Order: sequence, then structure tokens, then C-alpha cells
Amino acid sequence: MEFPLLFWGVLAWMIFWAVAGAILIKRRYLAQDLDTSNASFIGAMSGAALGPVGLAAVWARTPKSSGYLTTALGLLTVLIVAVTFSFADPDNICVTSGGFVASQFVNGLIIGIIYGFMALGLSLIFSILGVVSFAHGEFYMIGGMVVYFVTAVFLPGINPLMGVLAACATAFAIGAIFERLMLTPMYHGKIDRPIEYGILATFGLAFTLQYFVQALVGANPVKAQRFIEFPRWRFPAEADPIWIKTSRGSMTLFEQVTISSPRFTAALTCILVLLALLYLLHRTWTGKALRAVSQDREAAAIAGIKPDTMNMLAFALGGMIAALAGALLVQAFSWLPQVGAIPAMRSFVIVVLGGLGSLPGAFLGGIMVGMVEAAGTGCVPDPQKAASYIPAYGMIVLTLTLLLRPTGMFGRRFASGAHGQF
Amino acid sequence: MTKQIPNIAGVIVLLFLAAFPLVYGAADYDYIMHIMITAFFYAILAASWSMLSGYAGQFSFGHMGFMAIGAYTTGLLCHYIYLSPEPTGLCTETPFFGQWLVVVNPIGVTSTTLTQDCLRQAMDAWGGRVEVTRMPVPLGILMGTIMGAIAGFLVGMLVLRLRAAYLALFTLGFSEILKATISAEIDITRGQAGLELPPLYPDGVTLFGTYFEPTDKLPPYYTMLALLLACLGILAWLAHSRFGLFVRALREDQDAAAALGVNTTRYKVLVFTITCAMAAAAGAVQGHYVQIITPNLLFLLQMSLVVAMAVIGGIENFVAAAIGAIILQVLLELLRNSFVIGGIEVDMTIWRLVFFGLLLMITLRFFRNGLIAPLIAYFGRVGVAEETVAKRASTLTGPGGGPHRTEAPD
Amino acid sequence: MTTFRLLTATAVGALVTASAALAADCPIKIGGIAPLSAPGTVVGGEAMREAMLIAQEDINAAGGVLGCDIEVVIGDSEGLPEKGAALMEKFITQDGVVAVGGGYHSSVGVASKDVAQRLETPVVFAETWNDTITGDKQKYIFRIAPLSSWASATIWQFALTVPGVEKVAILTENTDYGIPASEETARGLESGGVESVTFSVDIGTQDYAGIVQRIKAENPDMIITLVTGEAAYNFTQQAADAGIGPLDLPFVTGQDALESGAYWENVPDGQYAFVQRIGVPETEFTDKGREFAAKYKERMNKSDVESYAMEAYDSIAIIAQAIEEAGSTEADAIVTALEGIEHNGTLGKIYFPYGTGKDPSADGKGDEWWHQWPDPALTMIQYQEEGQDSTGAAIVYPDAYKTADPVFVNQ
Repeated sequence: MEFPLLFWGVLAWMIFWAVAGAILIKRRYLAQDLDTSNASFIGAMSGAALGPVGLAAVWARTPKSSGYLTTALGLLTVLIVAVTFSFADPDNICVTSGGFVASQFVNGLIIGIIYGFMALGLSLIFSILGVVSFAHGEFYMIGGMVVYFVTAVFLPGINPLMGVLAACATAFAIGAIFERLMLTPMYHGKIDRPIEYGILATFGLAFTLQYFVQALVGANPVKAQRFIEFPRWRFPAEADPIWIKTSRGSMTLFEQVTISSPRFTAALTCILVLLALLYLLHRTWTGKALRAVSQDREAAAIAGIKPDTMNMLAFALGGMIAALAGALLVQAFSWLPQVGAIPAMRSFVIVVLGGLGSLPGAFLGGIMVGMVEAAGTGCVPDPQKAASYIPAYGMIVLTLTLLLRPTGMFGRRFASGAHGQF
Repeated sequence: MTKQIPNIAGVIVLLFLAAFPLVYGAADYDYIMHIMITAFFYAILAASWSMLSGYAGQFSFGHMGFMAIGAYTTGLLCHYIYLSPEPTGLCTETPFFGQWLVVVNPIGVTSTTLTQDCLRQAMDAWGGRVEVTRMPVPLGILMGTIMGAIAGFLVGMLVLRLRAAYLALFTLGFSEILKATISAEIDITRGQAGLELPPLYPDGVTLFGTYFEPTDKLPPYYTMLALLLACLGILAWLAHSRFGLFVRALREDQDAAAALGVNTTRYKVLVFTITCAMAAAAGAVQGHYVQIITPNLLFLLQMSLVVAMAVIGGIENFVAAAIGAIILQVLLELLRNSFVIGGIEVDMTIWRLVFFGLLLMITLRFFRNGLIAPLIAYFGRVGVAEETVAKRASTLTGPGGGPHRTEAPD
Repeated sequence: MTTFRLLTATAVGALVTASAALAADCPIKIGGIAPLSAPGTVVGGEAMREAMLIAQEDINAAGGVLGCDIEVVIGDSEGLPEKGAALMEKFITQDGVVAVGGGYHSSVGVASKDVAQRLETPVVFAETWNDTITGDKQKYIFRIAPLSSWASATIWQFALTVPGVEKVAILTENTDYGIPASEETARGLESGGVESVTFSVDIGTQDYAGIVQRIKAENPDMIITLVTGEAAYNFTQQAADAGIGPLDLPFVTGQDALESGAYWENVPDGQYAFVQRIGVPETEFTDKGREFAAKYKERMNKSDVESYAMEAYDSIAIIAQAIEEAGSTEADAIVTALEGIEHNGTLGKIYFPYGTGKDPSADGKGDEWWHQWPDPALTMIQYQEEGQDSTGAAIVYPDAYKTADPVFVNQ
């Protein structure tokens, strides 16, 4: 970095006013008897973006928190950090090369879609059961393992779609059985603290599944074949730069951005399944019942919906979604029994950022987390450190969200109060 | 009389643990002692975690993070801070009560012994003329404990508003950030290569007229045991004081407790500070005992072990959690030997963890108070566990019962 | 491979004698360190375990040592230094081993060697590269793996022979293997006037897309991977997807590529990758090497024998020979025997020229030559055909072992 003092100085200034804003504005709202749930966030963002001036304005006006205001302030903050960075480090490749930024952006977008999709399963489970499943990463791992064993070991040469279906079925079955055996006691007040019980039970499942798979299949990294190999294709044939150029394993856009075939198929499938899922949730009786239970268990029960069945369905469906993400990514990454840990952590970050229990939030959160990680990996100047900190980038987003706005982007309070009281 | 059985059993266990290193004399003495010391270490973590998560209801997944803060604080201080009677002229140094406080420059990880830090270079130049002293180990452990308490205090302040799943995720995030930082700042922390610490008693120690080498197991055994007992003592004292009453109120219903005039903020922060300081102290002592620490202390498996030990022992009873931790740690270590069923060799290196996970799930499902706590409760009727049970029974039927209280009856 | 393995006669022995430690002098016990659970590199550990058990069978089939059978007690280091130290303590005090072989992670070696030295038990490390392991000149510590600095030297010296290379991108893991190796490689490249840029990653990293783009933006002429385990597979394949893989420019991939079955499954676009290999080519194997390779491949159902498996085998076999020559299991006698040993192992003739009898400084060598086998053959191989076995792959460097000219894909 050429002018580190500039960057860190501005950052320190922003953090100082953000902290001051988070505390002061919250007090102000409290004193005015206004809704304080967003006050910390507004205070922090206005302080960070506009400094004492912004704080004074918010202090004087105490504006009602609206989506526009928070979004605008949030974007402004990000923009200021980005501009400062580009001045402080003018030679950084993130500043000088548009092609590089575009390729990092697409990378972040694609992996964000996939992990957002996976986090959707976690969010679904949370919205119905009120449990954060710590076994989400293990479902992801099992999805990949099943695809590998079906397509490469048991029935080589079979259509990978069969493997993916087998993975979904396996995960659905494990999820349903586990829910019946382990989670049923927590619905009827038999357990002192059901949320903690749910966390511990899924934690136990994660532990057992991971070592069970390792004991069965060993620790050699495995990988499935690419599901689809692109045909060689150029479009338009004469243009410069060529818009789309494909080779066996990857596709290049404008001679800048490379997307590999496994990632492309995975992201595309995720979007298609997401649409199917939205259809299920909004257009079918089962889906409507699921949503009804997530909004108000009591009312849903009165309307003739069995909340217990919905619990089982939600847990199995959530696990299946994770397994599907794994089944799609086993063609991109080498697979081991421990492979679930990183995406599980990322899913936690995503659902918190999007708002626990919110499905659109999970998807949008996934894309945002993908972007943050791409920006962190791509722009941190010291190449020795940039990638070493990859696991931390998401976690920083997580802790910041929890501190400033625990409900995340689209979070809501749950009627039954069973969801950790936020 | 039956009422006294847990107490009598407790005294017997204590006497056994106290006498064990003196009477045990087999050839595998060092190994068994190592297992016991590690078991005590896990017992401290499980007990303090059960106080924080079971008793006070602040479900934290960051406990190993605080442990690592303790271990790395003393490790880094002992590694980088020295007292020298003469200035080195090479390192960052300041006068300090007639001596020089030397801060050694980090040289990171090298595969050769050729690269030396500034102090080693200065000492080579002095040719053995000058004696430097490193930071005393007890001071390092104390600093580690204080750092753990400060971190616990700060985290406690930050998570005031967070409950249940949110709290679990926040603390997990904290622990992961810490792990990534320790792994990435390899120049300073030596990352995966591990930071080496001086032994617990660098010059050996003389107990009852017997001299023990720095590498002997007996002094660390008693140190760790004493730390465990001290932690259990503090926890017991806290549990039976007003503090215990209030933190339990925090768990049962935070809003109701606040409405009744309990300063929930203060008690929440306090319980974080105390239990995290304990974890840090355990980490610091263990770090000096094993003499090398790595960021893998923060591996999620380690946290799972502590959680599982506390749950299997009895999550709401810290004594049961500690006993559970000791028993499980010894079992896990002894179960490493593979065995044979029907001509098939079962490799226990991995399978023992599968069984451990199953045990955790079965305990959770069918023995909600753990396996040890009900034993204590059964005989004792003085333990904390069934007070909670009674409370729970009443709260379930009464107003403000379980969190799913609004659910439709079936 | 499955963990359910058919019962071998020796496993029964292991079970029975584990409980009755030290009861008898027979069988003679030798410890074997291997990482068998995460976060250790389990693949390497399982290979070494099998190799050491084969060594045990071979030695016992040949009549054992001092009239006794030997028994290799395998221990799991988990890749953690503190566990490694505890394991060494367990071997010596609980299992009553007379010497220890194996060892994969350098950090485990560094931590456990001090325990062995204190408890006066000879150790022959198989695959721990860190220079300090022998550099501390401890009486009971021996090593047959190459030094980290020699291994790095092979890579950068080879890189300097590649035509048209002006800038090299190094991807390293942030561990005690990766960091020093990348520093030495960068220094070596600089001495040859080649620029380099180092990217370091956390060992658990799966998704390299971002870092691959950064490397691509640096526009390197060659890529060197100093990463172990599945991370190297992930990086190599993802680099290939982005158009900077082994098919696009000279690409040195991680050592785990030597397990060619797993390599081709995980890196389908890995043709023309270079890999560093320890040991001579299969065509120059000793009889013992060939015999072991056949047995190992059959037993593990693998297409290749990895160099660390051969090292693990030799580490046990050399200890057995030393005990035989010493005529006792007494530690000092074994050390004396090891210092004078000439062992015909799977890797070649193994001996330790420097030690208590002759300090390395007598020949102007550095401390790290202490109890160090000086001639492990370090070669660079290249997968010139898709799906090739690593033992059948072309050796392209150094000239002494060369079997084919390297193919430079960007020429």
C-alpha cells in the first residue's frame, strides 16, 4: 500500500464515529421513546459515512428507520471505504484493472449464489423449527460423497443426475429420521431450553456423521467428473474481444472472465432449484402450510396443519438443500469427510446477514458474502496475508451484523418467540 | 446418611487424585500422568463452560478462543520479552528498574537454525558474559488469565442483546477470527509450526525435599489439579451466593429477571468475565505444560469435545461436567487401541469418535441432565441439579413456562 | 481404502501385548508415528502406517531381530505438535518401544524429538523435512528424509533451467513446511535473476478462484505449488479451469500428486504438471524397493508407491538392522550401530556420515548434516501422458537421473 496512513487514518476516523454513533443514537432513540431496533445501525452508518455532521443530523431529526435510509447509508459507507482505498493504494490491481475486478465480481457472484442456496436450507430449518442446524456442513459433505460413490464407484458411467438425485434422497432420509428420533421432544415444552437442545443435538449429529463417513471411506480426497463438458464455441466468431469463448472445462467472457464448467452448472442448477422451491412454498398446499407454521404455529395448527409433520419436512428439506449444494460442488472441489466445515461456517454468516429465517435474505446474503470474500481475497495488498485470512472475512461480517443489526437484512421477530427472541 | 454419599465419594476421589502420582509406579507413569493432566485441563474448561452455558444459559461456542487467548498471551510474552542487564543495541528496548526490557524482533518460521533474532545475535556478541532473564512463568500465566478476563468482559459487553442461537454464532465467529489471525500472522505467532513455551517450572522445583526436573510430570499434575479445585471452589461459592441465584434467573427468563430488579447486564458480563478467565488460566498452564501451542487449539473439534464432555457429565452441574470431562478424556485416550470383532479389525482411531458422538446424542435424548449429575443428585439432594429440576417442573406448568408456551396444545 | 482391514497375525500381537507392556523382551517393539486423523494429513499417515506394517512383516518373515519378532506400534500424531510430543512419551513409557520410526509433519517432528532425546530413545524420522530436526545435533535423532533446504533447492534450480521464465508465482500454505520452503525458493530464484511473488493460503482452503485470478493478473511464466494434501489438487485443477494450469504454463504441483490415482481423479486437467519426487526412478529401484513397491501397491490398491511410504518402510528396516548389529536393544548401542550403519533400503544405500564420531563442521558442513542421510535422490518428474503412473512418469531433472526431456507447454 502506498499511503497506508491515509487508509488506516480514514478507517480509524470512521470506526470512531461509527462506535460513537451506535451508542449515542441508540440512547437518543431510547430517550425519545422511539423504536431502537435499528438505531445502532443507523447511528453507526451515519457516523461512519458522514462523521460528526451526519451524527448531528440524525440526532436532531431522529428519522424513522426506513429501508431506503439504512440501505443508502450502508452503501455510502462502503463507497467511502472503496474510494479511500483507491486513493491510498493507486497501484492495486483492484483499482487499475477493470477486467480483474470483473472476474473477481463474477467469482464472488457465482460462489455466492451456490452458498446462498445452501444457506437457504439453514434458514428454512430455522424459520420452522427455531434451530440453527450445526449439521448443515455434514449434509453438504454427504451430498458430495453420495454423488461420488454413485457415479464413480458403484455405477461408473451413470448419468450424474442420478447421483444428484440419490444424494438428495439420502440427505432427505437422514434429515427426516434424525428429526423424528432426536428433535421431537423439543416441540412440546418437555425440554427446558429447546433452542440450545436443538443446537447440541445437531452438533452431535455433525460429529457422528463426519467421523462415521471418515471411518467408512477413509481420508483420500475424491472428486466426481465434470457433469457437463462445454462444446468448443465462439460467439460472435469475428468480434474482438470475443464475447463468449468456451473450451472443454471452462467458458471465457470478453477474454477476461473465466467461469469453470462445474461452477457454471452448479450455479445454474441452484437458481433453477430455487425457482422450484419458491413455487413449492408459494403455490402448493404443503408450501403454504410450511410458511404458515413459520409465521404462527398456533394459528396454523388451528387451521388444520400438523406442525409436527411440517417440522420433519422442513428439517429434511433443509438438509436436502445442503446436500444438493454439495452434490453440485463435488465436481469442483476435492472431497473429504471434513469438507463441510467451511461452507457450514459460511452458511451461518449468510443466514445471520440475511436475517435468520428469511429466505430471500439468505440468497441475497449469500451473494454479498461471496462479494466480500472476493474483495478480500482480491484486494488485500499483501499477497502473503490476503488468502490466509479468507476464513475470517465472513466471520467479520457475521460479528458486525450481530452487533449492529442482529435481525440482519430481512429478519423479523417470530410470533411464537421460539427463535432466540430476536 | 445417603445424603452424604456424594460428599464422601468426593473426598475419596480427591484423596485418590492427590495420592495417585505418589503411589502409582508402573513404567507408563509419564504417559498416564500426561493423560491425567490433560483430563484436568479439559475438566476446567468443561466446568467453566457448563457454568456459562448450562447454569447461566449463555450458550457460547467461543470457549476455546478464550483458552487460546490465555495460552498465547503467556506464550508471546515469554517468547518476546526479556530482561537484560545491558542494552543489546539491536532490539527495541527500554530502561526498566536499572535493567533493560528487551522486546525481541519476530523472525517467523524458518527451516534452518541460521537465522537468529536480535537478542541471540547480541548474546553471541557478548559471548556468554551477560545473563538475560525471560519473563517469569507465573507472571505470564497471570497476564494470560487477565487477558482472558478482559476478552471475556468485552465479549460479554458486546453480546448483551444476543441470546440463544445468535449468541452461539457470535462466539463461534469470534473463535474463528482468532484462529485465522493466529494462523495468518505467522511471523509473530509462528502459526501452524507452533509457539514454543518454557516449561511450567523452568528451573525445576523442590517439593518436600525432592528435586523435580522441569520435565517431570508431578509438579504440573498438582498445579493443574490445584487450578481445577480452585476453579470448582470459586464456581461452587458463586453458585451458592446471590450471584448464582441471579445468573440462574438470567437463564430462566432474562426479561422477567430484569423486571424483578436483577441487574442482568452486570451479571451477564460478570459470568462471562469469570468463566473466560478460568478458561484462559487453564490454557496458559496447559500451554506451559505441553510447551508448544498451535492455532489448532481452536479447531472446532476441540470445542466439540468440551461441549460433549459437559453434556455427558451434566450440562447444568459444573462438578458433574468436570467429572465427565476427566472420565471421557481418559476413556478417549485408552480407547485408541484397535480391537477385533469376528475377524475384522476395527480401527479405533476414528471409530472411538463415532461412538463418542453417538454417546453424546443418546445422552442428550434420554438423559437430559447428563450421566453424572443425576447420580450426584440422586444421593445428594443438596446438589444444584435438582433445584433446577424442581424449578423446571414448576415453570413448565406455571406461567412463563417453556419457550414454546404459545404453541397449540395437542 | 477401508478401515476395516483383514486381521493380520501381527494385529493380534499388537492387541495382546499393548496391555502387557514390557512383560517380555520379545517381541521387540518399535514405534511408528503417522498422522491418522484430522487436522493431520491422513492420506500420508495411512500410507506410512501400511508401509511400516509391511516392514514389520518382511523383517519377521526373514527371522526377526536378535531371535525375536519385531512389532511396530503405530501411533496417531493428528498432525499436532503437542499430540506428537505426547505420543512420543506414550511410545516410550507406555508401550516400551526401543526406537521410533515414521513421522510426517515437520512440526510434530520438531516437538517430539526433544521428548525422545530426553527419554534417550533413538528416532529415525522418515518424512519430516524441517532443517532444525537434525540441526539441533541431538544424539538420538536421525533422519532419512531430505532437508527442507535441499528439497527447495531442487525446485528452484529446476525452475532456473526452464527457458523463458522471468517471473514465478509461488503458492504456499501458511505452515512450517510452506513458509520456509517458499522463502528458500524465492531466494534461490532471485539468485538466478528470476522475480517471484508468493501467495500464502490457509491449509483448509477449498475455493481458490479468487487467488487464481490474482496469480493470473501477475502474469507469471511459471507456477510453483508448495501445498500439501487435497489443497494442492484443488488449486491445480482450479488454476487449470482459469487457463493457468499445467496445460498452459510450466506448473510444479504439490507432492501429493505422486499418488497418481488420486491425482488424476482430482485433477483431470493435470497433464504436463511437474512434481518433486524423492528417490530414484522405478527402473533404478533396488531389488528391495521393487519387492516393497509390488507388495505395497497390491495391499493399498494403489497404482503407485509414494516416496514417504518408502521412507517409512526404510525407517523401520534400518532400526531393525541397527538393533541386530548392536546385539542389544539398549539405546546407546543402537545409536552407535546407526552411526556406523550401511543399510540397503528401498531408497538405496542409507548411512549417516556425521554424528558423535565426526562433527559436520569437520567437513565444513552445516549443523543440519548431523545424523542426516546425505544422498536422498531428489528429482523432478513430469506427467507427460494423461493418466500416467508417477513411477512411470518421465524424470526431467536433474541430469543424473534424467529419462526424458521436459515438455514446456508454452514453448
